[in-house]
Amino acid sequence: MVGVRVLGITGPKKAAKAAPATGKSARYYPADDIPRPKHSRAKKHNAPKVRASITPGTVCILLSGRFRGKRVVCLKSLESGLLLVSGPYKVNGVPLRRVNQRYVIATSTKLDVSKVDVSKINDAYFARVESANKEGEEEFFANDAPKPAIVSDQRKADQKTVDAALMKVVESTPLLKNYLGSNFSLKKHDRPHKMVF
Amino acid sequence: MGFSRYVEVGRIVLISYGPNAGSLATVIDIVDQNKCLIDGPEEITGVSRQVIPYRRIALTDLTVKIQRNARAKQLKSAWKEGDVQAKWEGSSWAKKLEAKKKRSGLSDFDRFKVMVAKQQKSRIIAKKMKELKA
Amino acid sequence: MTKQNTQPVRLYLPGAILGYKRGLRNQYNHTSLIKIKGCDSKEDAQFYLGKRIAYITKASSGKNGSKFRVNWGKVCRSHGSNGVVKCKFSRDLPPQSIGGRVRVMLYPSHI
Repeated sequence: MVGVRVLGITGPKKAAKAAPATGKSARYYPADDIPRPKHSRAKKHNAPKVRASITPGTVCILLSGRFRGKRVVCLKSLESGLLLVSGPYKVNGVPLRRVNQRYVIATSTKLDVSKVDVSKINDAYFARVESANKEGEEEFFANDAPKPAIVSDQRKADQKTVDAALMKVVESTPLLKNYLGSNFSLKKHDRPHKMVF
Repeated sequence: MGFSRYVEVGRIVLISYGPNAGSLATVIDIVDQNKCLIDGPEEITGVSRQVIPYRRIALTDLTVKIQRNARAKQLKSAWKEGDVQAKWEGSSWAKKLEAKKKRSGLSDFDRFKVMVAKQQKSRIIAKKMKELKA
Repeated sequence: MTKQNTQPVRLYLPGAILGYKRGLRNQYNHTSLIKIKGCDSKEDAQFYLGKRIAYITKASSGKNGSKFRVNWGKVCRSHGSNGVVKCKFSRDLPPQSIGGRVRVMLYPSHI
């Protein structure tokens, strides 16, 4: 087994940690066994592939969550595989938001979003901020009205700049603004498996 | 009112089932009570000569003048003479089929545009109706 | 915003619970057969494979702030050639659900 290990089959990290491969064994040998962390085979999960129908600029229909039925514009896919979408906020109330591609119908309508700069928005941007005044036990039981969520000024500013660029594109096509403002819903004789989106 | 559409030699039919569904063909011969021989003509409609049950065809108002078991060449010239294709495309049946096909191919945005156009249309009609009633 | 009494947006299809997967003499309660509205062929059923299904019941006492309880499931495969699908639920459907309704959601989406 030792010989095998020197050959480096167990992976580069471990081979480097083992005695230098001079052929000689190390002078120092610890008297006690030092428990080594087990070699983990857990694979790093890569982000899922975004399906071909979704590209930056695709109009998507949200299928679940509190914005279900809304038509939104996909701006890009993030490192985690989630899609960055925006309503735009002014049109249908959907802010800059991450959504899972599985909860989205991609339509064939595409906008040109090359002018919309979203390079600084990444997954870390959406990380939760620990609120400063956390609810204590007493406040928890006080049963007062829940405080409204506070949207940071940073977010508001980013929403404004992104939407300003996006609105220019939206307004260049007639009816597109109304389209994004309307909700998608299945009607009585709609058969989603036969529909073209 | 009696029937005016008969299963007869020269009757133009619309195929409603199978690989040729949706295309036109001509009755060439009658096999028995359940099936007949049809031919496109293949060069025009893409339907090759075959026996087909009546259940899979729908009779149209159109006919061409051909002999029983006419050759493909004669059939083709009869179609051209009778101007069948143009007559069919002018019929409301064909127009409805065309509209249906068009509608099923619409994207989500297109459907929205149709909806808006419909609203505008009905708004105009409602306005006019109000004027007439007053 | 105007207040609406009905659900403004429907993003699911109704499905009817036909019964359980079965043989001539045995039935297998772990799989239910469901007919999705408008899905009338094996080819149509392909679209719905993997889709989530909700069997919704109303209970007399509320839990988590709602009197409605949901048993989630998913479409596993087609059954026969007329668009019926086989579905599995997180808890097997109860027998009184036969003839009842489920909601077939549009997610996970592949379009």
